[in-house]
Amino acid sequence: MADEQHDPAKERERFSRDAMAHLDRLYTLAYHLAKRPEDAQDILQETYARALAAYKQFTPGTSMKAWLTRILYNFFYDHYAYKKRRLFFEDNLSFENEGAAQWEKTGNNNPGPEEHFLKSELQTQITEALKQLPEKFRVPILLVDMGDLSYAEAAEILCCPVGTIRSRLSRSRRLLYKQLKDYVIDESKGDREK
Amino acid sequence: MKCEDAQELITGLVDNELLDWERSSIESHLKECRRCQWSYEQERALKKAIQVVGTSVNVSTELRGTILSDHHGLPGTGDASRTRRRWSWPIANVPRPAIALVLLLIVALPTYYLTRPTKLDIPAIVLETHEKIRRGDIVIARAGSEEEVKKYLSNSVGGSFSPMTYDLAKVNMKAIGGILEETSGRKILVTVYEGNSIFVTCYTLLGTEKDAPADATVLVDSVAKMNFYTFSQGTLNAVFHREGNLICILVSELPTLDLLAAVRMGARKS
Repeated sequence: MADEQHDPAKERERFSRDAMAHLDRLYTLAYHLAKRPEDAQDILQETYARALAAYKQFTPGTSMKAWLTRILYNFFYDHYAYKKRRLFFEDNLSFENEGAAQWEKTGNNNPGPEEHFLKSELQTQITEALKQLPEKFRVPILLVDMGDLSYAEAAEILCCPVGTIRSRLSRSRRLLYKQLKDYVIDESKGDREK
Repeated sequence: MKCEDAQELITGLVDNELLDWERSSIESHLKECRRCQWSYEQERALKKAIQVVGTSVNVSTELRGTILSDHHGLPGTGDASRTRRRWSWPIANVPRPAIALVLLLIVALPTYYLTRPTKLDIPAIVLETHEKIRRGDIVIARAGSEEEVKKYLSNSVGGSFSPMTYDLAKVNMKAIGGILEETSGRKILVTVYEGNSIFVTCYTLLGTEKDAPADATVLVDSVAKMNFYTFSQGTLNAVFHREGNLICILVSELPTLDLLAAVRMGARKS
């Protein structure tokens, strides 16, 4: 056991095996961050390549899911987010509040409540609603709800206080709810009936 | 409790992220307030729906095979047509003949290279130094204030130049010390900021934008008429910019945008 812990090849192998267990969840995050499957695939591949290259920096006993998510998010931020942000950058990073206001102006395009909506329809609606959400509100949702990270882990990745994660989640869920209320009301009724 | 005050606590309750007293407080309120009870149920349902969407996306067998083969150094088990886009470091993009030529010139003209500033591998130097300082492999000179750090570092280069300093007080960080590093005959002043479990190193050296990593992402600030170069490795991010004859690089695990904001503020201030 002790030998295995100090054998670099076995350490790497074990790291690789453990990291692969998070593949689907990380892909989901990449997919919703980048909004394009081909970009998500590149982000995922690069995340795993970087993680393996730096696996010695990972501290055993800590959350590998959070560590991999941090690498993924950093890479996304540097290589994808800026493509959109350049405009804001030249505008003194004034997107902080504009994004939410603009999003709130977006009309509710839901066709109306349906008694038995299909799961795929809900997925489409949520995916589309998430796409329209400003990044500062979208990312906490992705990290906490889809990435299954704790507030503390999300706060560490976004380098902000835990309280900020909670307030942004609260705000973003309210924004999402406006878009999705017909669907989510039915879903919650279904839950209660069970 | 007012209903507007309950909103964030409802979110925390949905996520099971409340302290005991917060939980008791919101649960008491929910018993009395139907509107907030409804709001709680809505949010819980929404979270569940988002989680369902989150579990509905799966990695294709092909991509899984490619990543597995990358990890094991084996030929791809997936479709070979899917290859990873290259996001390489600058040094990896330098053609080998160019490296050979540089080596030849170094051998042929040692005097020339000894008397002129050498091109530095900036990413490698700053990222490695950052990690060494963080681990304690490089011991910095500690100081009580930013002014003391600045004075110490300026004196260490005979006052020929001073370190760039940044206002990181907004994120509860302050300069705690610094050190003079010397690489390839070039002096680099390293200022270390710490606070709020975040660690930032700032590098100042004499140079030009030719020192910027060739593969960095370039952001043009048309207002300040400055270029900012960003690069990263693993969990570390860095922002490079020039101010006069000084090169400044900020390195941290902070998101690049936060580093950029700090650098731009510093750049404007000076």
